[in-house]
Amino acid sequence: MVTSRIDHKWGMVVDLDRCNGCQACVIACQVENNIPINDKNAFLQNRAYEWIRVERYWEGEYPNIKARFIPVMCQHCQDAPCEPVCPVFATYHNDEGLNVQIYNRCVGTRYCINNCPYQVRFFNYWHPNWPERMQNQLNPDVTVRTRGITEKCTFCIQRIRRGQLQVERRGGGELNDATLKSGNHMPACVQACPTNALTFGDQNDVHSPVQPYFEDVNRYNIHHEKERKTRGYRVLEEMNTRPNVIYLKKVDPNLDSSGGHHG
Amino acid sequence: MQEGRVLSTREVNRDLLRSILDTPRWFWPVVTVLGLILLIAAIAVGIMVNRGLGVTGLNRPVAWGFFITNFVFWIGISHAGVMLSAILRLAKAEWRRPATRAAEVLTLFSLMTAMVMPIVHTGRPWRILYWVFPYDFARGIWPNIRTPLVWDPSAILTYLTSSTLFVAIALIPDFAVLRDHTTGIAHRVYSVLAMGWEGNARQWKLQIVAGVLLSALILPVFVSVHSIVSWDFGMAVAVKSWHSTVFAPYFVVGAVHSGVSAVAFALILLRWCYGWQDYIRHEHIDALGRLLIVVATGWFYFLVMEILFGMYGREADELMVRQTQFTYWPYNFWFILFVITTYFIPVALWLSRAWRRNLWIMSIACISVNVGMWLERFLIIVPGLINKQLFTFVWADYRPSIFEYIIIGSTFALVTMLMLLFSRVFPLVPLYDVKEGDVLKTQVQIGRRTVPATFRED
Amino acid sequence: MKLTRRNFLAWAGLSAIGAVACDVIQDEELSLQSPRSLPEDLVKGRDNWYATLGRQATDGEGVIVRVMEGRAKKIQGNPKYPVNQGKQSVRSEVGLQTLYHPDRLSGPMLRTGPRGSGQYRSIQWEPEALDILRRELRANSQGMVLITEPLRGTLGMIADRFTSSLGGRHLGFEALDDTTYRSAIKRVFDQDRLPDFDIGNANYVISFGADFLSTWKGSTRLATAYGEFRQGNRRQTQGSRGYLVHVDPRFSLTAANADEWLPIRPGMEGYLALSLAYVIISEGMQAEGVDVDALTNGQGAAALAAFAPEQIAARLGIPEQLHEGKSAAEKIRDLANNFSHHGPAIALGGDSAGAHTNGQFNLMAIYALNYLVGSLGSGGGVRFNPGSPLAMLPDAARMGSTADWATVASDIRSGVTRLVLVHDANPVHGLPDAVGFQSAVSVGDPFVVSFSSFMDETTIMADLILPDRNFLEDWGDDVPEPGPGYEVIGMQQPVVNPLSDLDPRSFGDILLSMAQEMGQESELPFANVEAALKACVEGLYATGRGTSGEAGSADELWNLMLRQGGWWDESTSGPTPSAPNGLLSDIAAQGREPGYAGSGDFYLLPFSHNTLLDGRHAHIPWMQGLPDPVTTVTWQTWVELNSHTAEAMGLREGDVVSVGTDAGSITGVLYPNPALPPNVVAVPLGQGRTSGSDYATGGDPRESSNVLDILSASHLTENGTLAWAGHRASVRATGASLKVAKFEGIFPAREIGHTAGEAVIRVTNH
Ligand SMILES: Nc1nc2c(c(=O)[nH]1)N[C@H]1C(S)=C(S)[C@@H](COP(=O)(O)OP(=O)(O)OC[C@H]3O[C@@H](n4cnc5c(=O)[nH]c(N)nc54)[C@H](O)[C@@H]3O)O[C@H]1N2
Ligand SMILES: Nc1nc2c(c(=O)[nH]1)N[C@H]1C(S)=C(S)[C@@H](COP(=O)(O)OP(=O)(O)OC[C@H]3O[C@@H](n4cnc5c(=O)[nH]c(N)nc54)[C@H](O)[C@@H]3O)O[C@H]1N2
Ligand code: SF4
Ligand code: SF4
Ligand code: SF4
Ligand code: SF4
Ligand code: SF4
Repeated sequence: MVTSRIDHKWGMVVDLDRCNGCQACVIACQVENNIPINDKNAFLQNRAYEWIRVERYWEGEYPNIKARFIPVMCQHCQDAPCEPVCPVFATYHNDEGLNVQIYNRCVGTRYCINNCPYQVRFFNYWHPNWPERMQNQLNPDVTVRTRGITEKCTFCIQRIRRGQLQVERRGGGELNDATLKSGNHMPACVQACPTNALTFGDQNDVHSPVQPYFEDVNRYNIHHEKERKTRGYRVLEEMNTRPNVIYLKKVDPNLDSSGGHHG
Repeated sequence: MQEGRVLSTREVNRDLLRSILDTPRWFWPVVTVLGLILLIAAIAVGIMVNRGLGVTGLNRPVAWGFFITNFVFWIGISHAGVMLSAILRLAKAEWRRPATRAAEVLTLFSLMTAMVMPIVHTGRPWRILYWVFPYDFARGIWPNIRTPLVWDPSAILTYLTSSTLFVAIALIPDFAVLRDHTTGIAHRVYSVLAMGWEGNARQWKLQIVAGVLLSALILPVFVSVHSIVSWDFGMAVAVKSWHSTVFAPYFVVGAVHSGVSAVAFALILLRWCYGWQDYIRHEHIDALGRLLIVVATGWFYFLVMEILFGMYGREADELMVRQTQFTYWPYNFWFILFVITTYFIPVALWLSRAWRRNLWIMSIACISVNVGMWLERFLIIVPGLINKQLFTFVWADYRPSIFEYIIIGSTFALVTMLMLLFSRVFPLVPLYDVKEGDVLKTQVQIGRRTVPATFRED
Repeated sequence: MKLTRRNFLAWAGLSAIGAVACDVIQDEELSLQSPRSLPEDLVKGRDNWYATLGRQATDGEGVIVRVMEGRAKKIQGNPKYPVNQGKQSVRSEVGLQTLYHPDRLSGPMLRTGPRGSGQYRSIQWEPEALDILRRELRANSQGMVLITEPLRGTLGMIADRFTSSLGGRHLGFEALDDTTYRSAIKRVFDQDRLPDFDIGNANYVISFGADFLSTWKGSTRLATAYGEFRQGNRRQTQGSRGYLVHVDPRFSLTAANADEWLPIRPGMEGYLALSLAYVIISEGMQAEGVDVDALTNGQGAAALAAFAPEQIAARLGIPEQLHEGKSAAEKIRDLANNFSHHGPAIALGGDSAGAHTNGQFNLMAIYALNYLVGSLGSGGGVRFNPGSPLAMLPDAARMGSTADWATVASDIRSGVTRLVLVHDANPVHGLPDAVGFQSAVSVGDPFVVSFSSFMDETTIMADLILPDRNFLEDWGDDVPEPGPGYEVIGMQQPVVNPLSDLDPRSFGDILLSMAQEMGQESELPFANVEAALKACVEGLYATGRGTSGEAGSADELWNLMLRQGGWWDESTSGPTPSAPNGLLSDIAAQGREPGYAGSGDFYLLPFSHNTLLDGRHAHIPWMQGLPDPVTTVTWQTWVELNSHTAEAMGLREGDVVSVGTDAGSITGVLYPNPALPPNVVAVPLGQGRTSGSDYATGGDPRESSNVLDILSASHLTENGTLAWAGHRASVRATGASLKVAKFEGIFPAREIGHTAGEAVIRVTNH
């Protein structure tokens, strides 16, 4: 199979200033990853699945009110709290920096769900309901999960794998930004995002657009550099989960330095 | 002053074996009702396994609810057995004697019941094997020893094994008595179980040494079981209020609190069912009541500390959880009820000697403690999950479904039924221990009064 | 080994070194090495990606479709297609679910019960179904009407020629149509095509009502530009982040993303725009080279004196608390200042701003601003699309206005129209009841043929149903509008065959064969749509321009177009309009305040649903289950009221409220929105479907309503389209309460972090 693996370490950068909350990423992920249809009950019961979700927070009061959006997917934490608690290694870390979920092993204790600070793990409370004809659209590269197990964003590992395979087939070289893009191997949400708020790449690749942000945040977090050079930060940094997802701060030119809004 | 009259061996045998040798009239109807409850619960579990956990009220982010609450609750109850038997045996507390067997058996059955809970709560219970037992050699992947979910079964199974041994060894002399009182198949079964007990000095010596040794060995297990259960929560960095630093001792003391209360209530119930007024006497219940005041107060201290430590860091999300616990409907109601029922009602009752000796009032106090302790676990588990973290966007409430109520209710039926069935085949008050106690009681004479060899005087 | 002191020291030393070494080496990610390959490694089968057009997105997006073993698996943006540049809207991917929808109509059906009963029997295409169609065309083609979705390109051409040659009419239908927008563009810029906005290179954008990040024209393209506008490469190096002001009486997704949101009284957008113009002119802030005298017939600022901020500020209804301490007039002056000083700047408007009795005035006033800041034709400004490269292909859809639909209804009623053909349009649901389209069909009893693949309110009125192929199974093309500023033709090809249990036929092919049988060979000389496309490609090849230059023959061009998804010529560009003389003074002369139909405490603002639009996607579970970005509500009709207003009225989230106008009332579940102006009630379109798939119609009737039903059909704009944003409504509790099916949790979603380190969304001001 995949024989000569280059030392990848995948990462994503989310620019909150670009994101407009349109949810194209959400639907793209659902289509790509055979995510069960969220029927009305899923919402009424608070059990809807969105491997990537767009949260909307209110800030201020009418009329000086802001809605702020943040897309949240699995952060692929380098020290992932979900991993050590899984009794059966159904969720574990692979050598490309991904937090992987093996549906087949999962016994459904939901401990990982409790222990994920980002709330990105979803339990299949019901058996997924796919009308027979719609089963034709299911992505054959992605397992259709059964009831009783936990699922989550995989950074579209099936696309990465297909990419690696295809690059190999076409005579070697490595999976890098160019090949990721040209071969449709970007994660589905990244591909879809109309505003290009999402960027995906290899942190180990100095040419990757994500690399400078990771370097900057690592410098700040690990090497205690005083200032960040970019708008980059990790969500819930104080938990030390060291996500492989970096967010770029939202810019609000009307924000004064005290944190409030001026007229 | 030790109460009760001195009983002859014959009387003891007759009274204590009554539960085994004759069938009380209420026995089968009660067992049938309990069986029906269990049948309904089994159907509920069947549906749940078949259709998925969607039938429960669990959701995102509340992935653990009634089942885990109940798991912790029964683990807590299971601490009574060792508490009473082992500690009191090592401490040579005389009044423990009639209570030990019931307490140990309650330990066994509540442990078994508790173990059912995490299993039915999983999404795919039929896959339990490769979680609990390291069988999966083929793929080279063993259970993950970093998770409390693997420590749990290890601790619980160890506890179950040692408790079973503990009960079994204590039972041997009584099996011998039963062997001598029965005929037919029962006689043969008891013969095997009695393992050739003749009551000679060497056997007695070995039996007592084994009992003392097991008591000492089981103590660390007893402490660790509930500590480990507390680590199910303590290890969850993501859930604010779940990783209070005092959790381990807090859980252990809480477990003793609820467990001893449960044993006291069980004793009162047995006394009433089988007319064991001469064995389970007011002074025993009284002593348990006094012990409970100390345990309850220790537990209350931990409760206050837990809240205090939690709030002290002033982390926004921790404060939100506390706010939910204390101020949001219905959690505020449950919280007040929990504090009152776990501490203020029972301790107020226990403070009066007369009330400690009133079995009705004692029953109310003990039930109150357990209602409260159940709520305690619920209030630890659920509000934390509702307001799990800073992503306030996903906070959601939890309303358990009828399935959860049925299954939770059935665990009480299960323990009751197991206790009843046990009492039909094994003596729930240890014959030899009572006899031994009576022997000791008559031995010591101080001045003109005959004083029993007990550790304290009234 | 014996433990001696020497040994002990040696081991202690070694372990100390070891410990230090372990500490020095950075601990990397904890990873478990499995000796086996993981399930994720197993990628089997070969997939093909075909370029085609995503018809599910209203503006026609270029997509690539992943096909494995004859099944379509994924639809995503075609990176080569110039309009959407490899991106797609939320509505694009759901083509898969229309293709494999369980409720897709499988083949031709003939009505057996009374009209509207939904009783049909299946018939065969040949000869029965086509015979009936033939018979009806022969007998009734005079005065027939063909109602379609907005059609451009070859299919638009076929529909137009088919109807015109047989004596009928073709009208495009959309619930909230763009007639007013088009006529404003026509009058301000003298252009027949919609403009493209170069937001990506603009520094300042004022948008009036146009929800261009969600459902407005060209939203995918504009969203991509918006990303550049915020943090494009150029901006990151120069630090010139674009600034967005959104003027809208409703808190739309675009308002949510604006740096400044200016809620004003509905329909007053034109006043505000002219007020800005007044400030710009009176303070001489117009861009260099702008001939103010020509724009104002020589009057200068005086032409707009009636719109001076001080004159009109009080009437705009700008909330006082907005930017505390400044009067409304000062706010307008600030806005004008910033707008004119931070070029390149764009003013755009649409949606509710144009849907008032004075809608055309509003939009004209808004677009005229672009002349003042010199943003016509320049980078970061407004640019126009060239027309279709082939005269034969229409580049703008032929659309009907509310007035047209009223005429159609009366024609049907009076028997002038005896035959109604419908394709992928649902006027019964999308027209206010008061237009009387549905009743006209019942009374006039024309023969109705529907070419829809799904049952809906219009199709259920049909006598004959001839299900069309899905766009993934059929040929087609598109002249995108709004385009990217140069000539483009998008190519649509069948990427899968219909499943064996389905028997659809191409609508275009049927029209072509019928036209020929009716003797219109000369008008429509194509055997089928594919042949028509080939003819187009030959025409394109003959131009020799753009993509054609890369092909050696028409066949090669055909293959190339199939491969890359179309034809384009980047060297072309649209015209740069110059301002008609006296534009501003003319607009000022038309200025009038909007009229509101009915009475009631609230302004009623219907809006297009982010995923269901006007209800056409209501049968698609993916669309129903995708949360609205602002409220996160799904599967229901929600009614937005300001949270404080709702509280004052004693209403809580989930209360079923009735929204009433003079034309009727509907119900929905209340969503208290902290950002909605207190005098507004906003209701999305999209639900309230009564026939069709369970996904569309299955809800509780109390939480599924069509707000179009309560608009009064006689309330029209200057050009006869429905003034759908100009109604007043009252809101009453019904006493019932339902749970809102929203994605958001049950606590108010506000951040609780005390310190910067705890905030989930961090914000900076530079
Ligand atoms: N910033 C900060 N630092 C602190 C504190 C704080 O509050 N803030 N608290 C301090 C306090 S009070 C303490 S007690 C220390 C705790 O500091 P540590 O003692 O370092 O605590 P643990 O992380 O429990 O590490 C114990 C190690 O022993 C291993 N271990 C577990 N069981 C066994 C066993 O049976 N045998 C052997 N050989 N190893 C085993 C574990 O895997 C683990 O690696 O931290 C101190 N450091
Ligand atoms: N979940 C979990 N539980 C544990 C442990 C664990 O690692 N994890 N470790 C166990 C061990 S080894 C120990 S020693 C105990 C420790 O248990 P605790 O004594 O509870 O230790 P901390 O949580 O470190 O500190 C308690 C509170 O003191 C506050 N504090 C900090 N500085 C000061 C000060 O100057 N004055 C006062 N008044 N308060 C201050 C802290 O913010 C915190 O809220 O926990 C035990 N329990
Ligand atoms: S975000 Fe959650 S699920 Fe993903 S790696 Fe981190 S802890 Fe695990
Ligand atoms: S739910 Fe599955 S993945 Fe999560 S901890 Fe349990 S077994 Fe592991
Ligand atoms: S089902 Fe799959 S994982 Fe399970 S034994 Fe069979 S091949 Fe292995
Ligand atoms: S990376 Fe893939 S799996 Fe993860 S959110 Fe994006 S689309 Fe979904
Ligand atoms: S697709 Fe992009 S812009 Fe839209 S919500 Fe997702 S991340 Fe934000």
